[in-house]
This record gives sequence, structure tokens and C-alpha cells, in this order.
Amino acid sequence: METIIEMKDMIKVFPPNVVALDSVSTDFRKGEIHAIVGENGAGKSTLMKVLYGLEPKNGGEILFHGQSVNFKDAGEAIAAGIGMVHQEILLIQEYTIWENIILGIEPVGFLGRINRVQARKNVQAKIDEFKFNLNLDDKIEDISVAARQKVEILKLLYRNVEVLILDEPTAVLTPQEIPQLFSELQRLRDNGKTILFISHHLDEVLALSDRITVMRKGKKIATVEARDTNKEDLAKMMVGRDVLFLSKREAKQPGAVVFAIKALTYIDGNKRKRLDDVNLQVKAGEIVGIAGVEGNGQFELVNSIMGLTRPTSGQILVNGKELIAADILERRKFVSFVSQDRSKMGAAVKASITENVMMTHHRLNKQFTHWKGALLDYRYSRQFTRKIEEQFGVSMGSMDNPFKSLSGGNQQKVILGRELLLDTPFLLLDQPTRGLDVGSIEYVHEIILKMRMQDRAILLISADLEELFRISDHIVVLNRGKIVADLATEKTNLEQVGYLMLEGKDKEDAKEIR
Amino acid sequence: MRKKFVSGVLGIVVALGLGAVIMLIEGFNPITTYSALFSYSLGGFYPLTTTLRNSVPLILTGLSASIAFASGPVNLGQPGQLLIGALFATVGGLYIHLPAPLMIPLLIILAMIGGALWSGIAALMRRFFSMDEFITTLMLNMIADFFTYWAISYPFFDKTAYSPMTPQIDKAGWLPEFGNFNTNILVMVLVFVAVWFIFTRFTAGYEWRLTGQNSIFARLGGCKIDKNYVTVMLLTGALAGLAGGLVVMAGPHRFLKGLGANYAWDGVMIAMVANNDLIGTLLYGLFFSSLQTGAVGMELITAVPSEFIQVLQSVIVLVIVAGRGMLDIVLDKTQIKRKARERTA
Repeated sequence: METIIEMKDMIKVFPPNVVALDSVSTDFRKGEIHAIVGENGAGKSTLMKVLYGLEPKNGGEILFHGQSVNFKDAGEAIAAGIGMVHQEILLIQEYTIWENIILGIEPVGFLGRINRVQARKNVQAKIDEFKFNLNLDDKIEDISVAARQKVEILKLLYRNVEVLILDEPTAVLTPQEIPQLFSELQRLRDNGKTILFISHHLDEVLALSDRITVMRKGKKIATVEARDTNKEDLAKMMVGRDVLFLSKREAKQPGAVVFAIKALTYIDGNKRKRLDDVNLQVKAGEIVGIAGVEGNGQFELVNSIMGLTRPTSGQILVNGKELIAADILERRKFVSFVSQDRSKMGAAVKASITENVMMTHHRLNKQFTHWKGALLDYRYSRQFTRKIEEQFGVSMGSMDNPFKSLSGGNQQKVILGRELLLDTPFLLLDQPTRGLDVGSIEYVHEIILKMRMQDRAILLISADLEELFRISDHIVVLNRGKIVADLATEKTNLEQVGYLMLEGKDKEDAKEIR
Repeated sequence: MRKKFVSGVLGIVVALGLGAVIMLIEGFNPITTYSALFSYSLGGFYPLTTTLRNSVPLILTGLSASIAFASGPVNLGQPGQLLIGALFATVGGLYIHLPAPLMIPLLIILAMIGGALWSGIAALMRRFFSMDEFITTLMLNMIADFFTYWAISYPFFDKTAYSPMTPQIDKAGWLPEFGNFNTNILVMVLVFVAVWFIFTRFTAGYEWRLTGQNSIFARLGGCKIDKNYVTVMLLTGALAGLAGGLVVMAGPHRFLKGLGANYAWDGVMIAMVANNDLIGTLLYGLFFSSLQTGAVGMELITAVPSEFIQVLQSVIVLVIVAGRGMLDIVLDKTQIKRKARERTA
């Protein structure tokens, strides 16, 4: 097969001294699906962004059809025939599919009037050509995430790109939607398009791609044929060591009920029921996982527990103590909280690491202050930071450096350290491994399981079903603000939970599994 | 810290250079001008003490702005709070008669209460009507301006004067002077040290700073951010009010028209140049005071008008604020080049 893109000795430096691409050379062939895998921060997105002209390169050469190219922006790349679909979908919600697709290259008639008939005909032709199951008059806001992603792809195909780059396309999809995307991508490949896709889900990569490039810490480790490799080998190349994929959850009898939610209902300002009679309990030494497509009430549930929003009715109890009207500081005596968004809720990124570690402790832990809480003890805080550094294996320069100088994994370790050392009976973990690499995820899971052995009650909210299955004892499915199922992890499977997440009810023929 | 200092000094040098270019274009000799400027602000006991005395309102209003901005509230009401503080101290000094050791602290506290009252109104409007303090403090500046003008024209008007002003306050309320050295600087230093400690070493200051950086994080961490908001507004109002009180007690010993001058706006500008850093506010406050103090002498000796100092100030602000970002970009670029070369070599 002919080589369509060749990248030679690519170098990209992010100041102050992060070498994101360290002399990376690779090539992509015409009509192949080529996966780029690696942990977070391995440089896979950067490599694609450099190719696509979103980031200027600091060294190296890109050959496209044998010609040296250097795209200055996405527009040039698309014009040359390379398009990228980003993780976040960038479409205009209020516009229809065809309007979104022609945006920027509208066929115009007299006085710049858009030729609607022509435009719709062109878009329909593309939909038919690639057999996309889309109705061109649907508005973006009315269609599913998977369909929006298709629109993004179609938008690029409409611009006649030969090479499609997809940045973690499956991250926003439910398990049921993934095979459909894959068959569409395979059809595109069979039509001669080249597809480059970034992922860190190895099962997907192996199922879909022809060749796989593995990156680690800014370097290319290898490019292999998908049929010659397996999950364990890929994981080893990605991480640089063996990775365990099995659940290490030990059998354990849960204790008394620690955390309970009773008949929790929240109706928002627009009179929409965001939480609908939610009942939930977590026992000591138990991990309860909440599964659900994002936007089905997880956000409101977390905010209600933490005291950021006041639910309309219901009860929240920890060790029998009613917290529904308590202020946040009072709640924090019972609840440790790891938020899904480190920079928005979990930390002040410009403040020093120590100052981030002190938060909440400065109010609840007497050793952090003198003079009845008025004066801070910075020396104790520094010792405490040192303790977290050692206990949680954080690699940090100076603890006076800003929090943002830490890598994502280390940031999460610091946050976990801070929260777990609060010594509360109940832990609320909202997507604690979001955006972390494989090694860090493994570590976070280990800590969570350790907390389970220490008889803490843990509520885990996750968009990653694999994670829920790996560590939780129970899986509760949230759909449109309602709990639609409460299943023992051993007695269910990915497919059932995925279906419940989407439909809010069991598949008719799957009833007997329960 | 060291980088901040270097970029500050570098910025000032570049700005003075640009000032020199402007002077050359206008046909003045920059060397004689600058030497006149600095000899009248730094050269000797009299100029130096004048610079120090003039720096007090600049630094205190700058401190007020720095603490407010770093903690979240956009308190832009320093001009109004300064005037109300000055009025409170003046009225106290007119009607209360106590020995100096009691009188001076009393007037200082009155000035602070006046400023805090004025910023407190804005804080209340935010609490109860969700009105943005960014707007309300600015509006309250106007009200304070005309209210104090009325107060010194009618109820507290000095009948013997030809323009709006109050009589002089009780002598016990005058800040002691040693030669030209006014003790207002001592009051300022005392307050600065106390505020610095609260801001950097106390639980309260920690919560303010972290709230300023990420309020949702602080709130989830258990900080009472609403209460802290009110405290910061009151404190920063009190600091601006204190600036006004000290102007009265150190200078004319009465409230006369135009007393607030441009102190408070210059203070806000200093806070911005210092990037809300407290030590930076102190240093830039002293520097801007030396420029303003020297301007008078510069006008005496050379033909350069004292308004030129305003041009120079603006240039310094622009160069330093813009330079802060530039320095990072330049450092980044050189680092990228070096790293890239290492890889290809």
C-alpha cells in the first residue's frame, strides 16, 4: 500500500520543559485504519495536532503525498485533504444537519443567497454515498451524541478530505453505539479513506485498526500490525511494564449502613425534575457505583450531597445524621469528596501545592492552626504535604510550586491524599480517574479498594463502565434523574447496564439475567 | 519572587528610556530632567521624607485594591471610601477633644469605620439585591464626592474661609512631625505589617486568597465565602478610609475641596502594576510617590511640565503589565529553541 503521510523526526516542546514529541517518526498508508495509542501525556494528541496545523512544530518534517507540507491552521489542512474530529463536538445546536455541514462553503446563488435546494441535494448525496443513517433536516440539539459525531465526520467528507483524524471518538459513546461507529469507519476505509484514531481503549484498537502506533512519554515505541499483537503486549509497551487488568476486589462482608439518601427530589428553576425520588444506601466497606450517561442527574446528585444546591425534598444521612440543611463545612466532617474536574472544583491551580493540601484540614484538623484556628501552622502543613507525597507516591518538585506544575496523575494523587486523610466515614468520588493514564488509574483503584478494606463507605460515580465493573460491589443505574436499577456487580454485565443507561429499562429478552 | 523583581526593575528602566525618547522629541534634555526629578524626591532628608509622607495614601489605597482583587471582590470604591474616611476623621477632630495619645488612635479608628461603612453599603447591596460591587462601588464614589463637598460647604464649613473647607481639627489629632518626617508613615508601616500577616499567615487570609483564585474550590473546602466576602469588603474599605484620615491628620489638618486628589485611582493602578502582590504594592507605591514628589522640583528646574509625570506613569504601567506576559513568552521561546536543538543534535 502506498504511503500517504510521512512524519519525520517531529519535535514539539511545551514550555517550560515538557518535550511532548521527541523525534517521532512514523508513516500512515492510504486506506488503512491506523490507531495511535498511549497514556495521557504520551504525545498522541500533540502528534495529530501538529499534523493538522493546530500546534506549530518545533522541528521535523511532514510529507503529504511526498510533498513537504506545513499547515498553519486547520483550514489549510482541510483544503489539502486532512480533517480532524475533536473530542468535543463543535456544531451549532440550533441549526439542522445540512446547515451545519455546508457552513463555510455554502453554495450561493444570486446576491449571495444560499441555494438551499442545491445544498440539501449535495448533503443528501454524501449521506447516501457513505450510507450514514441521518436525516438532514434534524436539528443538532435533537439528535444523539453518536449522530452528532457522524455529522462531524460527514462535514469533513463533504469537504473531500482523504485523511480523517479522530480524537478518542468512543469516549462520548455508549457501549451500544460503538460497533456502529466502527462499521462506518471500516466502510470509509474500504472507500479508500485513511483513518487515524487516537484511543487508549485497547480492546477497541485491536478490534478496529489495521496498524497501531504506540507512544510513551513523547517517543514512538513501535508501529505494529494489529493482527500480530494483543492487549497485554500493547499495554506493556504503553506503560513500560506489565499491567494488571483483573479486579482485585476481595470478598468482604459489608457493615452497617453509613450513607443513605431517601426520596431525594430536585426540581430546577425551569421546573424540570433533575432528581426524581432517589433512594440509595452505602454500607461500610462497600463501593456502590453509579452508572449513567452524563447529564442524567449525576451532577445534581453530587451537588445535593455536597451542599452546592438545595434539593426540593428528601433526606441525606451519614451515620444517621441529617445533612440536608447542613452547611458545607458541617458536611465535610462526614464526607470526603473527589470531584470530576480537578481545576474547576478540586484545586486552585495557581496556588501552591501545600496551600491546596491544607484546604478543609485548616478548618477541621486542629493541628493545622494555633490561636483557636486564627493562625495557620505552615510548618505542620508542609510536614503534612510531605506525608501525602510519601504515602501516595506523588512526584513533585518543590511543594511551593503551583499546583498546576504537577501532571494530571500527580494532581489527582494530591487531591486523593487530601480527601482521604480527612478520615471521614463516607467518600464521594465523582469520576476519580477521568483524564488519567493507565498507570494512574490502576493506582487510584488500588487506593479506593484499600479504603473499602478500611470499612469506608464509598459512592463512585463513573462514566467508565469498565471501571465500575472492576471495583464496585453494586451498580446503580441513573436515567433521567431516576434510579432504574440496583444490581449486584456479579449478577449483571456490561450489555445490560449499557442498555439500562440508554433506555432506562431492561431489554425484554434480558429480564431473566436479573 | 526574584523573577517578579527583575521584571519590575527591567520594566521601570525600559519605561524611563521611553520617557527619555519622548523628552528628546519634545526638545528637553532627559539627563538633567531625570536628575532634577530624583534629586527632588530622593536626594537628601527633606525630599526623602516628603516622598515617604506622600506615599502613604498611595500605598494604603493600593493595599486596599490589592487585597480586594486578590480575594475576589472587585472593590473600585477606594476614592469614595477615602473621602468618607477623611470626613469621619475630620468631624471627629472638630467635635471631640482628648489628649493626643487617645485622640490619634480614635481619629484613625473613625477614619477606618467611615471607609468600612462606605464599602459595607456595597457589600450589603450585593448580599441582599445581588448587585455587582463593581458597579455599586463606582457609583458610591460619585455619591461620596458630592456628599463630602456638601458637608464641607454647609454643616462643617469654616465661616472664615473663601472656598469650601472645614476648620482645622483639634491639635491633639495632628500627627506628630519630626522636622519634615511625618509619623503617618509609621502608622502606614504598622498597618501594612498587620495586614500582611493576616493576608499571608492567618486562616482568614488563606481563605480569602484561595477564594480569589477559585471560589468554588474554596466553598467546597468548607470556607464560608459569603462571610469572607463581607469581611474583605469591610477591611479594604477601612484601609481606603484610613488613607483619607491620614491625609487629613498629616497634611492640611482639615478637609478641603479636592483633598482626595488622585490618590485612590493611583492606588488601584499600583495594585494592578504589582499584580495584587502586597510587597509589590509597597515598593511600587514608594516609587510612584517619588515620581510625583519629584515632579514639582523637575518643573522648577527644567522646562518640562509636571504633567509629564502622568505620561511617564502611564508608560510604566503599560510596560510593566505588558512586560510581565512578554518575559514569560521570551523565556518560553528560548527554552523551546534550546530543547529542540538538543533533540536534533
